[in-house]
Amino acid sequence: MVSKIGFVVNPIAGMGGKVGLKGTDGVFQQAIKLGAKPVAINKANETIKEFISSNSKKDEIMWYTCEGEMGSDILIKAGIKNIEIIYSTSKDETSSDDTKNACMKFLEKSVDLILFCGGDGTARDVFEIVKTKIPILGIPSGVKMHSGVFGITTIASGKMLNEFVNGRLSIGDAEIMDLDEEKYRKGEWNIRLFGIAKSIVEPTYIQVGKSTFESISDDEIKYELYEHINDEIEKNNDYLFLFGSGGTIDFIASKIGLKNTLLGIDAIYNKKLIGSDLNEEGILDLLKKYSKVKLVLSPIGAQGFILGRGNLQLSPRVIKKIGLDNIIIISTPAKLASIPEIRVDTGDEVLDKLFAEKEFIMVVIGYRLSRVVKIQTL
Amino acid sequence: MNRNATSFLKEEYDELVKKSFDWKLRILESGSTPHSIVDGKKVIMLCSNNYLSLSNHPRLIKSSIEAADKFGAGSGSVRAIAGTMKLHIEVEKRLARFKRTEASLIYQTGFAANAGLIPQLVTKEDIIISDELNHGSIIDGVRLTKAARAVYKHRDMGELENVLKEADKKHKRILIITDGVFSMDGDIAPMDKIVKLANEYGAMSYVDDAHGEGVIGEDGRGIGAHFGIEGKIDVEMGTFSKAYGVVGGLIAGSQDLVNFALNKSRTWLLSGSHPPAVAGAQLAAIDVLETEPEHVKNLWDNTNYFKKELISMGFDTGDSETPITPVIVGESSKAKELSNKLFEEGIFALPIVFPMVARDKARIRTMMNAGLTRKDLDFTLDKFEKLGKQLDII
Repeated sequence: MVSKIGFVVNPIAGMGGKVGLKGTDGVFQQAIKLGAKPVAINKANETIKEFISSNSKKDEIMWYTCEGEMGSDILIKAGIKNIEIIYSTSKDETSSDDTKNACMKFLEKSVDLILFCGGDGTARDVFEIVKTKIPILGIPSGVKMHSGVFGITTIASGKMLNEFVNGRLSIGDAEIMDLDEEKYRKGEWNIRLFGIAKSIVEPTYIQVGKSTFESISDDEIKYELYEHINDEIEKNNDYLFLFGSGGTIDFIASKIGLKNTLLGIDAIYNKKLIGSDLNEEGILDLLKKYSKVKLVLSPIGAQGFILGRGNLQLSPRVIKKIGLDNIIIISTPAKLASIPEIRVDTGDEVLDKLFAEKEFIMVVIGYRLSRVVKIQTL
Repeated sequence: MNRNATSFLKEEYDELVKKSFDWKLRILESGSTPHSIVDGKKVIMLCSNNYLSLSNHPRLIKSSIEAADKFGAGSGSVRAIAGTMKLHIEVEKRLARFKRTEASLIYQTGFAANAGLIPQLVTKEDIIISDELNHGSIIDGVRLTKAARAVYKHRDMGELENVLKEADKKHKRILIITDGVFSMDGDIAPMDKIVKLANEYGAMSYVDDAHGEGVIGEDGRGIGAHFGIEGKIDVEMGTFSKAYGVVGGLIAGSQDLVNFALNKSRTWLLSGSHPPAVAGAQLAAIDVLETEPEHVKNLWDNTNYFKKELISMGFDTGDSETPITPVIVGESSKAKELSNKLFEEGIFALPIVFPMVARDKARIRTMMNAGLTRKDLDFTLDKFEKLGKQLDII
C-alpha cells in the first residue's frame, strides 16, 4: 500500500521555453533577463488538485516535501494536512543540488514514490539519487520532456498517482533522457539516454474467468519477449544480432546469459557476446565481417523513438547496411500503450523517407505475438 | 513429499471473494422470459441473449418434446461413433439452407466450435490475425495453436491490411478472425471489407457471429446476409444458445470446410452429441425464423426505440449498431451502483467494468428482447432516467 509520498518541485523548470532556451540548466539568470516567468508551481498545483479531488485514501497519506515553492506551499494550498518538511534551501535560486538533497531525504524516510515537478533535467537529478530503488513520477513542466517518467499532462499525472495509490497500476521501466545541454549550446543536438528508472505503468491484463482478469507482471511479459527473441536467434543461427538499449532488451540479454550494456549497443553471434557498448565505427567494422544482421530495438522515452534519440551510434550508414526488414522491434504492451506511435529520426532524409513510406511497423509484444503500430518520422 | 494437494481450491476461491471477483449466481425461478423471476424478484430481463424470446416459443417447446418422446433423452454417443441421429443431419441441412451456404456443422457449444476448429486451421508456419476485442473463446482457440499471432486495432481495416502485407511475406497460411457483433459495444465487424482483404492476400476469413445469428441480416440470417456476402466467408461460426433460444455451436461454409472440421475438431469428436430434445428445438428455431419474421422485426423496433430514447435523455450509448446497447456511465463503481439500483427497481441489467472495458467507459450492458412491450420499455426508460439523474450521469 502506498502511504508515503516524497514531493519536490523544481520551481524554475520550464522557464526557458518561452524565451527560446532549451532548458534552464546553468542559464537561469539569462532566462530571467529574457523575461521568463515561473510555470512549475502552477503545473504542480494542477496535479495535486486533480489527485486530491479524486482520491479517497488521501487522508491516509503522509507527504514528505521541501519548504516553500519547492513543495509545501503547493500542498498546504491544496488543503493537505499530513506534511513533513524534510528539506529547505536558504538560497534564493534553487539548483539541481536542492532536488538531489531532497531526494536523499526522501529515501531516508522510506517513501513509496517520489512525485516531482520539472523537466528532463529534474528527472535526471531525481534518478541520479533514487536509481531504481523506488518508482518516480513526473509532473510535466520542463522545456524538454523526452524521459518516460512524465504523465502526458499535469492532470494525467494526478490521475496516475490516484490509480497507483489505489493499487491499480504497477511498476515498470521508464527511460531517463536528456539533451546534452553543453553540446546543444555549441550547436550539436544530442539526446542521451541516462538510465532506466522505475515509474508507474498500466498493467497488462489477461482474462482468466468470464469477467475476471489478472494483471501480468512486466517481467512475465519480458520473459515472453525473451522466448521470442531466443527463437529468432536459434532460427537464424548464421545472423549477427545487434541489441539496442533499454530495460526490456537488457532483460532478454540477461536471460540468454549475456552481460549486456543497458544503455549501449551490443553484438551477439551464436548467443555469445562479441562486442559491447559499440560506437558507430565498431558496428560498421562488424558489419564488414557479418553480412547477415538483425537489429533488435525497443522504443525509448516518452515519444517512442526507436532511432535518433539515445542511440546515435546507430547511424544512417549502419541502418542502411542492416536493412529495414532486419529490424525487430519489441515492446511490452504497457510501454506501447504509453507512447503515441513509433518514431524515427535518423537524420538522413532518404532513410527517414523509407521509414515514412512503410507507414506502419510490426512490434512484437509477446511470444510470437505482434501488432502494427503507426510510424512517424520528423 | 508431504503436501496439501487441494488447499489451493479454497485459498484461490477466498482470494476471489476478497476481491469481489467471484460470481454470485443469480437464480432464475421462471423461464428466461422478457419478465423473469430472478432471486425471487420479478424483473424485466435486459441481460439474457434470448433476443427473440424463442426459448419459450410454443413451436420450439413442442418440437423438443416430440423429439424426446420419439428418440429418447440422450443420443448415446459422440457424433463420430454412434451419436449422429437423422435429426442432427436434418438440422445441419436446414441451417445451411437458411444461411445460404453449402454446408453446416453443429458443435456441442459455441466455445467447442472455436476451441475445436481454430487450432486445426493453422500450423506453426502460419499466422492468425485477430481483432483486439475478440471474445474469450476465440482467444482460447488461438492459444491452442502454435501459429504466430498479430493483433489489429478494433475494426481498423488500415491496420489489418498492413498486418496482411507483413504476414504475406513470412507465412504460409493466414487466418483472419473476428467477432461479428462485438459483445461489449454492440458494433459490427466490417465483414465485407475483411473478406475483400482476405481474398486479396489469400487469407482465410473466420467470423464468430454469436451475437449476430438470428439478429442481423435478412430474417436474422447473420452477418453474411447483413453484408450480402453469404457463402463468401470461409468460416461463419455461430451459436444456437442466443437468439435461436436453444444451445449449441455451429459453423457454416463449404462442404470442404465441414468435411475437414468434423474429422479434425477434437471438441466435436470427443464430446457427446446433442440430445434429441435439443436438436428438435434447433430445428423448430430455424422453422420459426423462416416463417415468422415478426420476431426479428420486433427486436429491431424495440432496439431502435430504446436507443433513441436513451440518447435523447443524454445517455452515451457508444458505437452500438445492434440490440446490444451499452449505457456508458464512466467509473466502474458508478456502473455497479446503477446496476444494483436498477435491480431494486425491477430491471435486470449487468454492469461491465474495467478491465473488460476502459477505466472511464464502465457501463450497463443492455440486451433487447423482442418480447418486451412498449409499456415495458417506457417503464425501463423511466427508471434509467430517474437513476441517471440521481447518479449524476445525465
